[in-house]
Amino acid sequence: MTAAIELANLRKTYKKGRAETVAVDGLDLVVERGEVFGLLGPNGAGKTTTVEICEGLTIPDSGDVNILGRQWRKGDDDAIRARIGVCLQETKFHENANVREVLELFRSCFDSGRSVDDALQLVSLEEKQDARQKSLSGGQRQRLAVAAALLGDPELLFLDEPTTGLDPQSRRQLWDVVRDYQEQGGTVLLTTHYMEEAQQLCDRVAIVDRGKVVALDSPTELIKSLAAEHFVLIECKTSPSDEDLLAVPEVVAVERQTDRLELTVQSVRGALPLLLQLFSARDIAIDGLSTRHATLEDVFVHLTGHALRDGGEA
Amino acid sequence: MRWRVVRQVARTAFVEFWRSPAAVFWTYGFPLIMAVVLGFAFQPAPPQPVPIAIVDAPGANAVLMSLQPSERLDVELLDAVAADQALARGRVALLIKVDIDGPVLRSDPTRPEAELAQLLVERALFEAREGEVASSRTEIEDRPGSRYIDFLIPGLIGLNLLGAGMWGVGFNLVQMRVQSLLRRIFVTPMRRSEFLAGYLLGRSILVIPEALVILLFGVFLWGVPFRGSYLAALLTIVIGGWAFTGIGVLCASRARTIETIGGLMNAVQLPMWILGGTFFANEALEGPVRWAAEGMPLTHVNRTLRDIMLESATLTDVALPLAMLTGFGVLCFALAMRLFRWQ
Repeated sequence: MTAAIELANLRKTYKKGRAETVAVDGLDLVVERGEVFGLLGPNGAGKTTTVEICEGLTIPDSGDVNILGRQWRKGDDDAIRARIGVCLQETKFHENANVREVLELFRSCFDSGRSVDDALQLVSLEEKQDARQKSLSGGQRQRLAVAAALLGDPELLFLDEPTTGLDPQSRRQLWDVVRDYQEQGGTVLLTTHYMEEAQQLCDRVAIVDRGKVVALDSPTELIKSLAAEHFVLIECKTSPSDEDLLAVPEVVAVERQTDRLELTVQSVRGALPLLLQLFSARDIAIDGLSTRHATLEDVFVHLTGHALRDGGEA
Repeated sequence: MRWRVVRQVARTAFVEFWRSPAAVFWTYGFPLIMAVVLGFAFQPAPPQPVPIAIVDAPGANAVLMSLQPSERLDVELLDAVAADQALARGRVALLIKVDIDGPVLRSDPTRPEAELAQLLVERALFEAREGEVASSRTEIEDRPGSRYIDFLIPGLIGLNLLGAGMWGVGFNLVQMRVQSLLRRIFVTPMRRSEFLAGYLLGRSILVIPEALVILLFGVFLWGVPFRGSYLAALLTIVIGGWAFTGIGVLCASRARTIETIGGLMNAVQLPMWILGGTFFANEALEGPVRWAAEGMPLTHVNRTLRDIMLESATLTDVALPLAMLTGFGVLCFALAMRLFRWQ
């Protein structure tokens, strides 16, 4: 059986006047069937363009796109559309139609699929089926968008930043929907700039920056790929020199902020007693101390040299 | 084309309209208000007397006496300053000064009522001098079918069909494009033809009651006659609605913003408002303006409705314009199908 998505050497540039922006720059990707695959990157990294190329909404300048073993614009478009479910980054459905009516409209497009009642149940919107769009909360609207995407009983589901702007509870509700869908054998391509979301949901993650995949693995393996997975944060007015700190076994890196040190360490248990000894020996007071585990954000910063949230436009 | 998809799209289009109070008001309420206001404004009635003034001077009273028998003149005697002021402000249409050679009529000939006043005064003075002359009797044309309101009601139906097709469909489509709803539909297996046909059907169902409301209102409130074929009228409404919806969809097929579609619709609609024969007969126009009017679908919808309602036209009588309007709609949709973009 072919992979769910195969992208090879994908390129897409946008022209605005004389300026040319490269949105996707030679991107390669394979999403296997049955996995939840995350595209992680800052705004403007090329995630949405990549997903829209997969959905058939955007035509790439060059490269190969294979969706469930078929290609766009080769006479198979309707066959592909019948097997995928799409949740765009932002869609406003008909304002005056109620939840059930919107779903009935989308259900009618598919020759086979799940019932509207099933879809409502999947996203826990049964009680809101008679409510009009304008009376729904952000989370409910987003769940409706996912329900509409699930109506054709798709083999492959595209979710473009599905939880942006949602409160934590709504976000978790949507995660449950995605997990249920995967349990039933579905494949998901998800874009997000929330590390936690990628860590919670994705079997594999591609970190995308400036239109390229800079790393690809499971979230755990990506974090393990860092020289050290832990951080010790010390608040102090003065501090030992970098040389002294790096001389402590297990301390890998030092980053200084105002009244604060962030030390990358191989293990908290090994490094912490030695660090406390050093501070004590130098007679430096510690105002606060905390530790944290590395996240995908750290992987991203390590790989690209900039934070997830300060990407450029594309 | 799958009927169940067309039906669902039509249903959504219907629901979207019907649950929007603003859309319902502008579609049903506004044309009715217009029919009432214009109906009252153009009620057949005897002509109003024309106001004139005589400058108070020796001999003025004699002139006043001569003019008083005329029911069509409303004469007042003013001093010289007040009389000049009344003429300057347009409060009177004509001023009479009496000097040794007799009365002098003073007026601004660019004012439409000035000429009428002059004729009435000259006639009254002549009658006073020579005795009553034999003249024709007058009648007010107030038979149903010949009044302005009888002309207006079919035109208002045409205008309403135009507005509903253009704004109800065209504007809505662009709004859906702006909200990414069209892109969302594009990524489903719904076909362009199913979508457009469904939208058209949803709107066509609404067009019939829209037109009927104005029609019934005209017939029952103003006594506008309905002399021709009901079937022909119904077909004209449906086919007229179809032609205008075709223009609406065509305008909306590529517009990306609300501003673009607004401008485009006004550019298409305004000439039809002026030249389409709704408020005045465009048969009297000449040259290129007449050709333009004849090229407008509104002209033919209005004319066909008038022929049916006022001239007892049958379906056979109006078959040609209806076939032309159908063809026009087909042409618009064929073009729209080629040009239409989802995003």
